[in-house]
Amino acid sequence: MIGAISVAVLLLAGFGVAVYLAGSPRDAYGMLRYAVWQMSSGEVQAGDRAPDAEVMALDGTTRFRLRERLGERPLVLVFGSYT
Amino acid sequence: MYEEFKGQADFLTIYIREAHPDDEWQMDVNIKDDVCYAQPKTFDERLAIANDFAKRFNFPLPLAVDTMADEANKAYAAWPERLYIISPDGTVAYKGGIGPFNYKPEEVRAWLEARRPKAAPAESSRLRAN
Repeated sequence: MIGAISVAVLLLAGFGVAVYLAGSPRDAYGMLRYAVWQMSSGEVQAGDRAPDAEVMALDGTTRFRLRERLGERPLVLVFGSYT
Repeated sequence: MYEEFKGQADFLTIYIREAHPDDEWQMDVNIKDDVCYAQPKTFDERLAIANDFAKRFNFPLPLAVDTMADEANKAYAAWPERLYIISPDGTVAYKGGIGPFNYKPEEVRAWLEARRPKAAPAESSRLRAN
């Protein structure tokens, strides 16, 4: 009984922290449900060989690999989405 | 920053999985700005949003789209937004923090500024002659 109440209190406290961090209950839910599991510090580190990946051009048909864009100059990669 | 440094570095934007689609964690600011899209379930849907984005902002940087396998996103732990710089030798020269709070274009700017090529020899000798 005490165990169950303690767990419930802990979960509520945890959600409370999420609300504080995210700004609102809806945002806390969104953050916990969608964001937390997608974010990662990532395995690749500065100094490592840059991973390659296949991506598509805006025309929807031309495929190329990221490293094909690497030439004589540094390559700045900007990752993001509209929303 | 692109306009300022495009003579010094190559830039490539990779359009990845949506950060705040309206069927996941929708944001009020997106509703206000009329940026309401569901998380794409097909490549055509993601491609369409990427094209909307490019058109709306007349986006000058080269833009490519991650396939639905999210290969680039996963390789670079990119979601929701992130910056990297790759050296010509193929190694990671700069790894940015996780967005949005640690997404810092000013760090990329600082990196590029620190490596800005010095004045061309012709200019230097002209200065010396004066």
